[in-house]
Formats: sequence, C-alpha cells, structure tokens
Amino acid sequence: MRLGIVRGHLTLTPAVDSYRGKTLVVVEPVTMENLRAKNGKGGGKALIAVDELGAATGQMVAFTEGREASNPFWPTPVPVDAYCSLIVDSIDVSQ
Amino acid sequence: MFLARIEGTVVATAKHPTLDGCRFLIAQRLEADGSAATEPIAVVDWLGAARGATVMISTDGDIARERLGNNTPARMVVVGIVDSVQSPAGGVA
Repeated sequence: MRLGIVRGHLTLTPAVDSYRGKTLVVVEPVTMENLRAKNGKGGGKALIAVDELGAATGQMVAFTEGREASNPFWPTPVPVDAYCSLIVDSIDVSQ
Repeated sequence: MFLARIEGTVVATAKHPTLDGCRFLIAQRLEADGSAATEPIAVVDWLGAARGATVMISTDGDIARERLGNNTPARMVVVGIVDSVQSPAGGVA
C-alpha cells in the first residue's frame, strides 16, 4: 500500500452500476521526505480511490492498488484499482 | 518481490475489518545500488521485522488472502528478513 493524503471527494453522474453508492476520494501520494517532515504535503501524482472508511479531507490513508483493490467486493467483479485500506492515526518514522 | 528497508510503524484505528490485528510497517523500496525509492509503502508484517532491517516484500496478495480471507485488500507482505545479499556491486543490504 502507498500512503496518501485525501484532497477531496468526488461524485460520478452517470457512472457504471458497480460504482453506485461508493465513495470516491482524490488522494495525493506522500513522499518519504514529506512524511518525515510531517508538513502535510504530498508530492506524488494524484489518483482516485474507493473509500469505505469515511476518510476526511486532509487525513492520511494507506491505499491498495492493483487487483487486490477490488478484493473487498469479492466475489462481485468491480472496476476498482485503488482502495483505501486504512486511515492513518499516526506514523513513527526515524528522522 | 523486492527488497525494502523498514523505516517505521503505522498506527491505524479505522481499517478494513480483515486487517484488524495486523502489524503495519513503513518501508522504502531499495534499488540495486542501495538507494531508496522516494515514496514510502505500508506493508503487513507477520515476522517481526525491526526498524532498519532489510526485508523482502511480495506484492502478491495470495498469502494475505489465505490468512485474512478472500475479501482482504492487503497486498504487500513482508515474506522474509534479509540476512545478507551477495552482490559484487555492494549496494543493497
């Protein structure tokens, strides 16, 4: 999982049926430099992830990418390639 | 699979239910010359890797699905702690 900061939420109208009722968030991945500096900055290329945890704007999340991102909806096949697996409370990294 | 260095730990209360009780570590992927990637990753650890340790990470979710259930989003798992790497160039570990 990569780490990212939630920068906003989005809605799709219309969207394919599999996205009905799903929350989508814009996530900006965090670089190690910014993570160590704890400056609230990201630095990576923004992407969209499905969020079922209720992450708020500004919170840091860890998101799964690839095939495993659609596992939570197993056995229903869904076109999801990024999924917020956890909301970060705190991170302890060496300086 | 790739090598990574453990840089820290993650505390997370809100997470996918299948991840309850998992230990999450922050790691940085290592290149052949020993340099680290710019973006950190959060990995599941069942082996007890310490900070600063070099580990091998698998990005296949099969072991996670086996242990945590078919609907787990866990993917990157520490599958081994590196003792040594024999490489003429030096570099990693």
